[in-house]
Amino acid sequence: MNTQTSLNFRTNAAAAIKDSSLRKAMRNATETFGSKRTVAMASIDFEVLREKASAIRMEVINNLPAYIEKFTSNATAAGAIVHRAVDAKSANQIIAGILKDHDVKMVAKGKSMVSEETHLNAHLEEEGFEVVETDLGEYIIQLEGETPSHIIVPAIHKNRQQIGKLFHERLGMEYSEDPQALTKFARKVLREKFLTADAGISGANFAIAESGSLVLFTNEGNGRMVTSVPPLHIAILSVEKILPSLDELPTFMRLLPRSATGQMLTSYVSILTGNRKEGDVTGAQELHVVLLDNGRLEILKGDCREILKCIRCGACMNVCPVYRTVGGHSYGWTYPGPMGIILTTLLTGMANSYSLVDASTLCGACNDACPVKVPLKEMILKQRVRRVKEGYSSTAVSLGMGLFGMAIKHPLMFSTGETLASKFWSVMRTVGGENVAGRLPSPAKIPFSRRMS
Amino acid sequence: MSVNDANVALFMENAAKVAAGLHQIAGKDELQGKLAEIVEQDVDVFCPKQTELEKFAAGFLDHLIPQYREAWVTVEEVTAAIAETGSIVCTSANGKAVQASLIPSHHVALVPREKIFATLDDFFVEYGVSPSTNMTIITGPSRTADIELNLVIGVHGPEKLDIIIV
Repeated sequence: MNTQTSLNFRTNAAAAIKDSSLRKAMRNATETFGSKRTVAMASIDFEVLREKASAIRMEVINNLPAYIEKFTSNATAAGAIVHRAVDAKSANQIIAGILKDHDVKMVAKGKSMVSEETHLNAHLEEEGFEVVETDLGEYIIQLEGETPSHIIVPAIHKNRQQIGKLFHERLGMEYSEDPQALTKFARKVLREKFLTADAGISGANFAIAESGSLVLFTNEGNGRMVTSVPPLHIAILSVEKILPSLDELPTFMRLLPRSATGQMLTSYVSILTGNRKEGDVTGAQELHVVLLDNGRLEILKGDCREILKCIRCGACMNVCPVYRTVGGHSYGWTYPGPMGIILTTLLTGMANSYSLVDASTLCGACNDACPVKVPLKEMILKQRVRRVKEGYSSTAVSLGMGLFGMAIKHPLMFSTGETLASKFWSVMRTVGGENVAGRLPSPAKIPFSRRMS
Repeated sequence: MSVNDANVALFMENAAKVAAGLHQIAGKDELQGKLAEIVEQDVDVFCPKQTELEKFAAGFLDHLIPQYREAWVTVEEVTAAIAETGSIVCTSANGKAVQASLIPSHHVALVPREKIFATLDDFFVEYGVSPSTNMTIITGPSRTADIELNLVIGVHGPEKLDIIIV
């Protein structure tokens, strides 16, 4: 269902607000995350740790080409085959090519937001491969033909009744709305897939430059399955996900799960270094790593490069009053919430996303929650400035803001405006329609400033 | 309390928080009784029999099979444990099958007390320099909250994790 685009944020959001089951699901999820996060943070010094994490990520971003090279050479030395993909299309082609070379029919896939960004599944299915998502949330939305609405919990927008109905209709399971029964049923169906898949595809949370390792944080065990059971493993990740060495990993092990799900640590942290070597009985025979750029190196040159520090925990969306109300699908692209606004405008272009920059109250809750200190609020403001400069705000808005800007500097003009507004509001409110004056409340009969004197 | 006693106590406290079954035995002679208590009757058991402790444990296990893929329970000695997070660590070093702690429904981990590190940093100082092909840090059994954030234990990995500190 790729009917939504980032240009339709306002329409999407208006529809989402009227969807009471979505609102209930979002409230439940973000409140639960909020309280679990608070409890988990009590056992660490968040400010000290995030200062440290921010510095580590900034060091990598400031020297990104060198770190990419170091990771590539060490991963290769460990037996991995590293590919560089400039854009989504080339990443998909590389992966389809590897699968073809190995005569693969069925792929078991672990959760990867980068593969959502490249629309990998659609591409592989067109090429004739069977792709099975194995993360429970991803499996649910794959069955439904939807996209994730949250980067950590992809099916956060669905309730148990909807999932029960889906499993009944699509998998022939006797209707149940018990999460336990639904999960166990999926376990049985997917176990078969893991054991018979010709290849596994996964994402990765981090790549380690010094050892050439990949690091995956998972809870269900499907990530471990797809990376270690099939003979061929392909990992796709974006180029900026590098940490200098495993020494830095503990800082992120303390921050990432706490920020994402409020856990002290995820059930599994897998550190994969190269392919299966002599004497090993674990590991894929062949490991391919696809490093995707898709616009990141361009971001590196600009004034929003700090967004590349992002470790995809989802904390900024869980605390965002806009995300909490409208859910992830309203944003229209892969990444929702505050980090999503910035990545979407930078990676897909202002022309395709300018309505998104309104999707923030600039309250700054995202800045407070971010475990790597990305200045999200300031970057959203920068995107608003960019929208005006690049000419994507409507003439009515520009004219109105220009006049208002002039008026607040000139008291006489301001009070004249106030008088005019109170007399001719019914005419003025039609200016710009619903998007401009139409949304504003009627002006008071006597302005506040005159009541004071 | 010695440094190691403190590590054991903290490890037990944190592992219990993530729904792992915790057992402490005073010596190897208590292992037989403990395994009889933990390991289900009449199910297929996998034990790698690579370390001395595993060889010793295997002597008390019935229904041993050579393939972890078909086993209901795996009994194995793990590489290390971490007190800070209540985690155990399985690695592919010395020809160990990391999947043995993943595919069977029940994972019984034997942890010699001297292998418990205080913090994640301590662990990586020793194991982070030249990591084995697969190193998996396990904190509690497999879990999900993908349906309405309801916690369900046992998705694709083990539904039950028992840890015996020896």
